[in-house]
Amino acid sequence: MAEANKVPIMDIRAIIKHQRNRYPVLLIDKIIDLVPGERATGVKCFTYNEWYFPGHFDDEPNVPGFVQIESLVQTFILTFLCKPEYAGMKTNFVSINNIRFKKKIVPGDVLRIEATLKTFKRGIAMGAAESFVDGEPACSAEFVVAVPDILDQFKPKA
Amino acid sequence: MSNLEKYVAAFTSTFLVEESALANLEYQDIAAWDSVGHMSLMAVLEETFGIEMDIDDIIEFSSFEVGRTILAKYNVTME
Repeated sequence: MAEANKVPIMDIRAIIKHQRNRYPVLLIDKIIDLVPGERATGVKCFTYNEWYFPGHFDDEPNVPGFVQIESLVQTFILTFLCKPEYAGMKTNFVSINNIRFKKKIVPGDVLRIEATLKTFKRGIAMGAAESFVDGEPACSAEFVVAVPDILDQFKPKA
Repeated sequence: MSNLEKYVAAFTSTFLVEESALANLEYQDIAAWDSVGHMSLMAVLEETFGIEMDIDDIIEFSSFEVGRTILAKYNVTME
């Protein structure tokens, strides 16, 4: 629960400024540690008011896997979108590998997400992220993400 | 493995195409060779041949055949 009270490096307004996900698919609340071009630590607080809990499931609310993955990657993309030259650019998945779900996440849980950028070259970002609830591993994955606005600068001539 | 074999392997492994389709292959001829695929191919070629390509060369790299000429500038020659 300590993560929930940590002073943000990026609050929700800064997150909205630097990346393009919006309600209902903006799935991180704040960034509490950030080394641009290297790593970011995000926090997501889950309450029963999340739109997916009534459907997943009405008798056993828990966070769907795709939401967990999005929380990971939204922290991951801020490792480079935090830089002024990339701020606000849209991103696309290229691949997701080695996904592991290790813990059921329920209303009231606070997710800590640690993301690392391995490489960022010509609009292709590669790296990984892992999440924790109360120090226990929850979910992890490796990502390759593209930034179309940058890729377009390197397209062969027609 | 010769440079030509490595070059062919970069294309076939990145785009999952048969070697027989490479001779006349151009950017966007197949779905896999889009802007993302192009960057993937450039990354594989740079790693395979231990080079770092200039931006202009990446933009000029518009076909399998043109790529051979461009790589020659980096002393990657193919017989």
